[in-house]
Amino acid sequence: MDAAELKAYEELQPIHPDPASFLRRYVFSLDHKVIAKQFLWAGLIFLLVGGTLAMMIRWQWAYPGQPVPVLGPLLLKNSGGVIGPATYMTVFTMHGLIMIFFAITPILIGAFGNYCIPLMIGARDMAFPFLNLASFWTFALSLVLVLCSFFGQLGAAGAGWTTYPPLSTNIGTPGNGQTFMVAAIFVTGVSSIMGGINYVTTVIRHRAPGMGYFRMPLTVWGLWLTAILNVLFVPVLGSAALLLFLDRVFGTQFFIAGAAAVKGGGDPILFQHLFWIFGHPEVYILILPAWGIVSDILSFFSRKPANWYRGSVYAMCAVTVLSAVVYGHHMFMTGMNPLLGQSFMLLTLIISVPAEVLFLNWLRTIWRGSIRTDPPMLFALGMVFVFGLGGLTGLYLGATVPDIYLHDTMFVVGHFHLTMAAASFLGSLAAIYYWFPKMFGRTMSPGLGKLHFWWSVVLITLVFSGQLIAGYSGQSRRLYDPYQYSFLQHLRPLNQYTSYAAFILLAGQFVFIYNFIHSMVAGPKASDNPWSVGTLEWFTTSPPPHHNYDRIPLVLRGPHEFADPEVRHRLGRDWIGQAEVLPEVAATPATLRGA
Amino acid sequence: MSAQAATVLTYRPPRARNDATAWLGMLLFLGSWAMMFAALFFAYGVVRAHAGDWPPEGTPRLPLLLPGLNTLVMGLSSLALQRALASARAGRTAQVRPALGAAIALGLVFLAAQGLLWSRLWSAGLRIDGGPYPSVFWALTVFHALHVLVGLGGLAYLVVRSGDHGPARHVALRLWTGFWHFVGAVWLVLYLSVFVI
Repeated sequence: MDAAELKAYEELQPIHPDPASFLRRYVFSLDHKVIAKQFLWAGLIFLLVGGTLAMMIRWQWAYPGQPVPVLGPLLLKNSGGVIGPATYMTVFTMHGLIMIFFAITPILIGAFGNYCIPLMIGARDMAFPFLNLASFWTFALSLVLVLCSFFGQLGAAGAGWTTYPPLSTNIGTPGNGQTFMVAAIFVTGVSSIMGGINYVTTVIRHRAPGMGYFRMPLTVWGLWLTAILNVLFVPVLGSAALLLFLDRVFGTQFFIAGAAAVKGGGDPILFQHLFWIFGHPEVYILILPAWGIVSDILSFFSRKPANWYRGSVYAMCAVTVLSAVVYGHHMFMTGMNPLLGQSFMLLTLIISVPAEVLFLNWLRTIWRGSIRTDPPMLFALGMVFVFGLGGLTGLYLGATVPDIYLHDTMFVVGHFHLTMAAASFLGSLAAIYYWFPKMFGRTMSPGLGKLHFWWSVVLITLVFSGQLIAGYSGQSRRLYDPYQYSFLQHLRPLNQYTSYAAFILLAGQFVFIYNFIHSMVAGPKASDNPWSVGTLEWFTTSPPPHHNYDRIPLVLRGPHEFADPEVRHRLGRDWIGQAEVLPEVAATPATLRGA
Repeated sequence: MSAQAATVLTYRPPRARNDATAWLGMLLFLGSWAMMFAALFFAYGVVRAHAGDWPPEGTPRLPLLLPGLNTLVMGLSSLALQRALASARAGRTAQVRPALGAAIALGLVFLAAQGLLWSRLWSAGLRIDGGPYPSVFWALTVFHALHVLVGLGGLAYLVVRSGDHGPARHVALRLWTGFWHFVGAVWLVLYLSVFVI
């Protein structure tokens, strides 16, 4: 690579002056790092909202019909603090929708997609900075619609996170809270598509010279594949939301059938098809970034190269492709032809092969590594643990025969919370602890981080294991009062212990909130590369300047160059940067003799 | 730069690379939106497959001629826009705006004809809440017309923006041409599947 070629790269991404005004700098910013922080704040705030709603559900399952302490007098004045049946419906609906679309998605994809992709591939910004700005403010509009839904007449949306008709049509949920939520899903989908287009294009077009696809950190691979899935499948959800919106507002009949319809009517099952054609890729949309981040962190904190890097990449690609053809396993019980069900079962179980490749790669990466137990590494290991549990329980649901028994029970809830909630949540926290010094230029307290980790991982396992056991005992999900059924009455203590675990889990998150905010304001200044890692973002300042890199780096090697004897010999350390030139030194026989 | 490097390097100027990046973004957007329309057509197919008779007894039939002519109008509009793009690429900057104007005029004719179609069917009693058959018709044609409207807005911006559309600055024109062809192609599928079959 000579000077002229590097110059061509510099001209492609010229350095723009820092924005001067407050609005341009912090509100309507074009800078991917600022937009990432905006997504992070929005996601964390709504994570707290969704978590609070979860506590109300847990209270209901432990003490159905009794006034909710603390929150009840504040939020449920009309019913004397008791969660009524209709309110209960809105609580679990809003919990699910907020956690998926307005908490995990903005944190993992909005925040870390935006922050990591340009920095880790050596770019100055996203390919389309204005589209990036539009993506965040479209997302903000969808948040406004979510808040409107809370204040809708007849309460917030109440048709479950899956929003199945006929419950989600005007017949099942006549209030405008449901309509606002359907609109919010469409708008946030548009935001996701904008972000996805930006991420895919940026990775294809703005990689620094020398940054081949197989030199990209696995974080970027995960985020890139997620972006591809977003671009392809979020529009399918958009179409479902659009048709449902038309059904609710303009009286079309795509999903209304039976006595409510005139002249034949549509098909409620159609919605389920559209929803799950999107919905199954969605679960990988939420977990692929966490997979990528954890794959990198396990290598960085074991001081070893990631085991079979290409295998992990191929595995993630295989999962991405397979995720598009398995959606029928969500619909085994809808009267689907059993032969079709078997095909979907086969395809579903095949996904466990690449997932297993990835999992074994993680174990082989940490095997005999020099493990450093910093908070990011602990959270990554915790993610591996809970994802293992979630993946194994998925086998029961992916096979048609056990699914007949387990379908629509709390076992399903436990399974998808272990993968989508626990694994994505711990993956997000690993990312937050890991990139915090780069994002904010300060260091989080490692002691509080470790406390937060043990508090979270133990209790999160207890909460979702409790759900698995309750479901295996036959408790259906979404029951307002499970104990009206005599065969479930013996589960009351189990559900109560699970609820206590959930309350303590939430209490533990205040350790994180304190650590996060206190460190941002008053944490010790972070060095440029506190973890001694070789990926590009650690070779700029903490936090990086507006244009990321004064010169676009020339990438020479892969992201996980640890424990190389030659590097140790010449530089005296166990790692080398992706764009770092190994100094020429003469062979020194003295060292050889000493060794 | 050494003489050898000058012969080896095949880098295109940065401007062209940026243009290619923008075009890639537009292709991704159109691919994404094609999934949206594919899902809508899938929904139409399912609803229709479940219906007994299509159109149901006593429902006004959709005309073939007017929307058929409109398909031609949309095709001509795309051709005019393609001509504008070719002129910009070849440096015949004076011919760009007239061709753009023709494309916009044909787009307006399309919308006017759609309006006529809607008003006729509305007065014939085809109401949006009258069952699945009118649901499909109104949802698909109006959603498509909104895209035509967005496209016309983009083309109008290209006419009023300052400066010439030359070979060095035709990327916006190229992107909107891609979008306009896409909207036309969706209309063709819509016409064939909703009106003809």
